[in-house]
Amino acid sequence: MDTSIPESAAGARIALAALAAVIALASSYGLSLGLRRAASRTSHQQPTPEAWFETPTPSSPALVAQGRKLFLASCAHCHGADATGDEGPDLHGVQVSDRYISNIITHGIKGEMPSFRKKLGRDEIVRLTAYVRSLD
Amino acid sequence: MNSEMWAKMHGATVHFPIALILCSGALDASGFFFPGPAMRRGLHAAGYWTTMLGALGTVPAVVSGLVMSKGVMLGHDALRLHHLFVWPAFALIVGLAIWRALAGDFATKKAPTGYLATVGLAAVLIMGAGYWGGEMMLGH
Repeated sequence: MDTSIPESAAGARIALAALAAVIALASSYGLSLGLRRAASRTSHQQPTPEAWFETPTPSSPALVAQGRKLFLASCAHCHGADATGDEGPDLHGVQVSDRYISNIITHGIKGEMPSFRKKLGRDEIVRLTAYVRSLD
Repeated sequence: MNSEMWAKMHGATVHFPIALILCSGALDASGFFFPGPAMRRGLHAAGYWTTMLGALGTVPAVVSGLVMSKGVMLGHDALRLHHLFVWPAFALIVGLAIWRALAGDFATKKAPTGYLATVGLAAVLIMGAGYWGGEMMLGH
């Protein structure tokens, strides 16, 4: 019995399979966009755009140590000296991007956390972000 | 429903596609090596249905995961690594299920190496996604 598949039919199957995969991913992306918009409407924290190739904030033991000093001076009275939370939340193991962390430090959270835009320079925010990122 | 409920739903739904896709690859691959036609047909039928149910199972897993993370498709750290495995695995599994539905009966055919290799790749990706999902829940 000849069980070979005509080449055109085989190609059509692969094309349909690829199309279904693209539709599945596109649907997920659409749902993701809708959910992010809904989340941004109900929250004062605006989600940050995502990128496939995110440049990580530079980090080194020296940067983390400098960030820790800044943290103790500016943040510890709310987040606790060990960053496990006090008036502010625990900062260990946060599942947000570096850009999100630096945005929160820079702009603050209305009614909850002050903006540090005037108090801290860009380099200092990079150090603080490196410190927060180092918290497991 | 709150995000904790969605997290529980994600945990309850993800294990079905992981198990079913791993089984489907093993069943289909073994079906090509058994000499008896009845056994081959049975293994391929089981491979077919585990592929279909695994692909269907990815839908609640993906939806609950997206709702739980409020629409985050990549995220950061372990969540990012989890997603870098999840999305290619999801696309491959959906594509494989559609291809399989159109391909008909495997029992009288030679092993389609491309299909088996793609199932193997999907299995590796879904295991990677599961590993990083576990790291988020239990890792340090």
